[in-house]
Amino acid sequence: MPQEPIDPAGIHWTRVSPSYAKVRMAGWAVGALVTLVVLCVPLVLNRFGVWSGFPLWLAIAAPAVVLAIEIVRLLLIPRQVAAIGYAEREDDLLVRQGLMFQRVLVVPYGRMQFVDVAVGPIDRMLGLCKVKLHTAAADATAEIPGLPLAEGTRLREQLAARGESRLAGL
Amino acid sequence: MNPEPAPGHGGSEAPWHRVHPVSPLVRGWLAVVAIAFVYGQNTLSSLFGEEEPNPGPDFVSGAPLLVSLLIGGGILLLILLGFFGTWWFTKYQITDRHVNVNSGMVFRQQRQARIDRVQSIDIVQPLVARIFGLAELRFDVADSGSAAMNLAFVKLSEAHELRNAILARAAGLKDSSVPPAPVAPSAAPAGDGADMGSPETAPADAAPVVSAEAAPYISLAASERVVASVPLGRLAGSILLRPSTVFMVLAIIGLGIAMSNIDGFAPFYLLPALLGMAGALWNNLNTGYNFKAATSADGLRLGYGLLDTRHQTVPPGRVQAIKVSAPFLWRKLGWYKVSVNVAGIGGGAANDAEQRSVLLPVGTFEDVLAVLSVVLPAPGVEAPREFFAAALNGSGTDHGFVVSPPRIRPLAPLAYRRQGYALTDTALVARNGALHRTVAIVPHARTQGLSLRQGPLARRLDVVDLWLATIPGPVVPIVRQLDIGSGRELFLEQADRAAAARRQTDSNHWLGDA
Repeated sequence: MPQEPIDPAGIHWTRVSPSYAKVRMAGWAVGALVTLVVLCVPLVLNRFGVWSGFPLWLAIAAPAVVLAIEIVRLLLIPRQVAAIGYAEREDDLLVRQGLMFQRVLVVPYGRMQFVDVAVGPIDRMLGLCKVKLHTAAADATAEIPGLPLAEGTRLREQLAARGESRLAGL
Repeated sequence: MNPEPAPGHGGSEAPWHRVHPVSPLVRGWLAVVAIAFVYGQNTLSSLFGEEEPNPGPDFVSGAPLLVSLLIGGGILLLILLGFFGTWWFTKYQITDRHVNVNSGMVFRQQRQARIDRVQSIDIVQPLVARIFGLAELRFDVADSGSAAMNLAFVKLSEAHELRNAILARAAGLKDSSVPPAPVAPSAAPAGDGADMGSPETAPADAAPVVSAEAAPYISLAASERVVASVPLGRLAGSILLRPSTVFMVLAIIGLGIAMSNIDGFAPFYLLPALLGMAGALWNNLNTGYNFKAATSADGLRLGYGLLDTRHQTVPPGRVQAIKVSAPFLWRKLGWYKVSVNVAGIGGGAANDAEQRSVLLPVGTFEDVLAVLSVVLPAPGVEAPREFFAAALNGSGTDHGFVVSPPRIRPLAPLAYRRQGYALTDTALVARNGALHRTVAIVPHARTQGLSLRQGPLARRLDVVDLWLATIPGPVVPIVRQLDIGSGRELFLEQADRAAAARRQTDSNHWLGDA
C-alpha cells in the first residue's frame, strides 16, 4: 500500500481483505437507500398533488444533491478499505485508517483488557471478521475490520498471548 | 468484579460486619419526612373537620382518630421493618485480598472487590450523616466498570480505620513489613464462629472493624501534612471569574436585552435564570469550601465541603494523567486548577465525577508545585520549578519544549509559539492554549496508547496532531500541530519509551514492590 506522510518510517503494513469493501458497500446501500427514500417523500407527495405547496425545485434538488454525495462516498469505499492497515511490533500493535482524516494508532499489548472478534451477517458470507482490541482508554481501542477468519483467529490468539506476557495492569 | 464471590473462603479468617443501624434512616429520611408530612396533614385536616383542601383517600379522611392512628402506626412499622431488613442484610468483610459487600433483602447482591485494584477511597458525609457522626466509604475499583463500591454508613472513626487498612493493603505493605499474624482471639470474639451472618454477628459494632493484624498500618497512615489549602476569598473569586460564570452572566444580560423589547417585560421574568445561576454558584462554593490537600504515606488526601463533606484519597500510582489549567481571567491573579484522570472516577456516569477529579480547585503556583510533587513524585527534570513555570506560562523552546513550526501561524495565530511538548525522564508534558492555558502531563508508564491524526488542512501544512490515549476523564492530552517529521519520530519513540517504563513498574502495588 502507498506510504502516506503520516505513516511512521520502517513499518510494513498488512492490508485487510479487499472484499471488505463489499461489507462497507452493503452498509452504504442500506444507509443511502433509507436517506433517499425519506428525501423523495416531498417529491412524490408533490407529484400526486397532495402537498403542492412544497417548491418543486427543492423537492428535486435535495435528493439529487444527496445522491451525488452518496455516489462519491461509494466510489471512495475501495480506497478507504485499502487505507486500513495494521502492523504487529514487538511491544505494540499499530493500526492505520482514513484517507481524508488519517489516523495511526499504536496500542501496547500490555494495556490490552480483552479482545473481541465480531462477525456480522455479510462478514460471514464473505468469510471475514473484525478484531477489536480493548484497552482502558476509549481512544486506544484498536479496531481491525475485514480480516479473513483464519487471520482474525490467529491475530486474536497472538494478541491474547502477547497481552498475557506483557500484562501491565492499568 | 467477579460475579460469584465466595464468602465462605475469606469468611473463615475475617469476620463479617454490619453497617451502622441508623444508616437506612440517614439514606431514606427524606421519604420518611415526606410521608409523615402528607399523612399528618391529611389526618389533621380531617380531624378538625375543615374543608379538605386536597381530598386524600377516603379511608384517611373519613376515619375516626383511632383508625387513622392505627394506619399511621402500621405504615411506620412497615417502614421500620424495611429499614431493619436492609440493615440486617447489609454486611461487609475485609480480607487480605478482597472487600466483600452483601446487600439487598429481596434481591440479594454480593459484590467483591480486589483490594490491589482499588484506585481511590472517599469518605463522604452528607449533612444528615454528619449530624449522626456517620460516614459513607466509597471506593473505585479498576475492574468493576463504572460502578463504585460503597459502604453506607459506618462511624466516622471506623471509616478512617477501614480506609487506612484497605489502602495499606492495596499499597502492598502487607507483603514486606508484617508477617501475617493469626487473628487475635480478643479481636473478633463474635466473628470467629459466625462467618455466614448467623445472628451472633449482630453486636459486631462493638468489635473492632479491622482485625488485629491490620493495626500496624494505621499508625503509618496517620501522619498527614497539609500542602495546599484554598482560602474562602480566593475560592469565591475563582468561582466568579470562571469561564462558565462569565458565559452565564453574558447569557443573562443578552437575554435581558432581548426580552426588554417585549411588551410588558419586567426584570422579574429573569428570576428563573438568575436562580439557576445562583444554584450553580452555590454548588461550586459548597463543594470547594474549606478545601485542603495533604500528603500522607498513602497518597494525596483531599478534604472539602460546606454542608456535605468529602475526604478523598488519591494514591500517586493511580493517577493516569494530570492537567493544570489557567483560565484567561485567572491569569493576572496567578491562579491555577489541577485535575487528574483516575480510573473509576472520571467515567462521567457518576454525577460527581467532575468534582472528584479535581485535585486543586484554585491555587497559586506554589500550591500547584506542592500538589504535583505528591501525584508526580519524580518529575524527571533537573529544575522542576523552572520547568513547570515554563510549562504553565512560557512559550518558545526553553526547557526542552518542542513547539509547532511557524508556518501554522494562520491556523493558530496566538498559540503557535506556545503549543508543543517536552519530554522529561518520566513523563510527556503537552502545553496548549494561548488565552486559556493548559498543561497536560502523562507519565510514560501510564501511556495507554498513542495516535497520530491529520486532516486535510494539516496535511497541506505538513503538521500532525499527537493524541495520547488515557482513561476517560477531564484530561485529554493532545500535542497539537507538530511538524510532521518530528511528530512521526515522537510517535514511535514515545511508544518505545512507554514500553520501557511499563516494564519497570508494577502498578497493582504502588509501594510494596519498591
